[in-house]
Amino acid sequence: MSAERLFSTFLFAFAVAALSLAGPARAADSDGTDAVAMKQIRSEIRQMREERKRDREVIRSLEIKVQQLETKDSKVQAGTQQLQSTDQKLKETTLELQQTNARVKSLQTKVDAPIAPSQFASDFGRYLGSHTFQITGAAGFNFVYDQQSGALDGLHHATQNTFFFNFEPMFLYRPADWILFEGELEGSFGQAGTAVDLPLADFQITLNDYMMIVAGLFDQPFGDWYENQSPMWVNRFVSAPLPFGVEAVVPPSEIGLQLRGGLQWGDLGQDVDYTVWGGNGPNFSESVPGAAIGGPTAIASSLTNGKSIGARVRFYPLPLDEHLGRLELGASTYNGKWMNGHWFNSWGVDFNYFNGNLQMRGEWVQAYRQMPSNFSQDNRQGWYLQAGYFLNGLNVPGFPDKLNSYIHRLEPLVRYSGVNQHGVAIDDIHGATGVGVGGLQVGLIPDFGLSGSPALFAPHSREVALGLDYWVAPSIVWQNEFDIELPRAGGVFVSSTGASTPAGSIPNDHAFLTQFTVGF
Amino acid sequence: MRKLFITRKLFVTIVLAGVALGSLSRPVFAQAPSKEEKRRLILKGSKLWPVYCNQCHNARPPGEKAPYEWDQEIMHMRMLGNIPADDARALVEYLKTR
Ligand code: HEC
Repeated sequence: MSAERLFSTFLFAFAVAALSLAGPARAADSDGTDAVAMKQIRSEIRQMREERKRDREVIRSLEIKVQQLETKDSKVQAGTQQLQSTDQKLKETTLELQQTNARVKSLQTKVDAPIAPSQFASDFGRYLGSHTFQITGAAGFNFVYDQQSGALDGLHHATQNTFFFNFEPMFLYRPADWILFEGELEGSFGQAGTAVDLPLADFQITLNDYMMIVAGLFDQPFGDWYENQSPMWVNRFVSAPLPFGVEAVVPPSEIGLQLRGGLQWGDLGQDVDYTVWGGNGPNFSESVPGAAIGGPTAIASSLTNGKSIGARVRFYPLPLDEHLGRLELGASTYNGKWMNGHWFNSWGVDFNYFNGNLQMRGEWVQAYRQMPSNFSQDNRQGWYLQAGYFLNGLNVPGFPDKLNSYIHRLEPLVRYSGVNQHGVAIDDIHGATGVGVGGLQVGLIPDFGLSGSPALFAPHSREVALGLDYWVAPSIVWQNEFDIELPRAGGVFVSSTGASTPAGSIPNDHAFLTQFTVGF
Repeated sequence: MRKLFITRKLFVTIVLAGVALGSLSRPVFAQAPSKEEKRRLILKGSKLWPVYCNQCHNARPPGEKAPYEWDQEIMHMRMLGNIPADDARALVEYLKTR
């Protein structure tokens, strides 16, 4: 400000000096008007200065305002943007909420609803893994009462009056859908001792729709009985029919390889199937005539020195839709060498028929055993015929419902069986009745053939068995059996050296067997 | 000797016939069946079960075993009974419905 004033003072002084220089020339005519004009100019200048000052202030204040407005505007813009993004977010959140809600709802309905069995099955399947394992088999508790009526000269002749327990756990292991392993252990406990066995251990391999391979230790696929009727809960009787018991006609089992399969040749139910196999061959307890034939795991299997081959064909003629029941007709052959190239040849036919409450089965088996030249030949035949009828539909009038419901669980049975062989080895009789090495059985004689009766070992044994089964469930049964032994006279008993004594007449025995058994 | 020769021939013939038939057949290890296929199998299985499964022993009811156990059992029973493959598939599907 002081600079401005200095400047204006200087301007004023300069103007005065200029005027005073020009003054002498004109002083005479214009002194008075100049002074007025000067004053006016000066006041105008002053005014202009003040106006300029005011303008500057106005401009500055306007600039400030503009600045303020500008910042306000940007803030508003930012605010709008924020608002927009918030709005967007809100929209997204709402959508998410809606989705979550829907999910919660569907979960709730899933939780509320019972799990579908198929869903559970697949979940459980995943839990189990692809290799599955199962224990099946059977257990049985039985009592045998076999009071001997007379003695056979020189032969052990035990009266059986004893409890037994049989436990046969079976393991099934399935590592893939084309392979199954089956293994069975067996323990039998009785008065005369304990017997353990490994009756089955094999792989079952599915090749395609028409072929399966079985490799290992298996029930003889000859006929029907060994493979399909021998388990305790499957067999309707406690004991085995004579040709599959202590005087077996074909070996009960085999170590080897099978190829098998089946197909439908006609209408549904009209099937045909085949089994061919080869194995270690038959073995006998001794080389003498009449010696018991055994499986490949028998303890005393010192006589096997050959191989075997076998074949079986089964035919099912009845179509399912005719409701005529199921009929099976089968034919089998089993041939092998038992010692030093000696042949064992056998063949058999079998049938079974099932319709409603009725079931029937039967088998005929014939075997030729080539003997060393110093012995007579050893041929054998065996058969059985069996029938049973469930009293399912029987309502005895006048009986209370409760009693009738018990009657409905009953199955009366009858079986006739027999074996013809020229001789019976004396050592087998001793072994099987518990006197021989190894206790209850020496592993030669299938335990299901055992009731203790020497009439079983008669060269021409015959037996009528009457049965009454009480079925608690399809695989839980209380079985009762009454055996009437009717051996024919004739034949010989053979010692381990081959010396034979005529059997003569053999006392008829009666036995009572009762068994409670559960199939797992 | 002659007997052996005949049985061997028979054995070889059956094996070769089996292999020939087998190579023509579709694979056993079928994929999971479609819905219609499953319905067909279950229906067929329900017809077969009372007849086929009663033949050797009393029929064991579907509820006795878990589905994975039926997979094993039917493999086992198919072997024992030489049950035709499609019938075995039908039985296992039926038994698993329980
Ligand atoms: C050819 C005869 C036969 C037929 C047909 C048959 N079974 Fe069996 N089944 C047996 C035998 C024999 C056993 C005892 C186990 C063994 O010896 O391997 C058995 C055992 C069983 C067991 C007990 C578990 C086990 O593996 O031991 C079940 C469950 C079973 N069978 C279900 C069935 C069903 C379901 C069917 C119908 C598809 C069927 N069976 C058809 C012969 C047969």
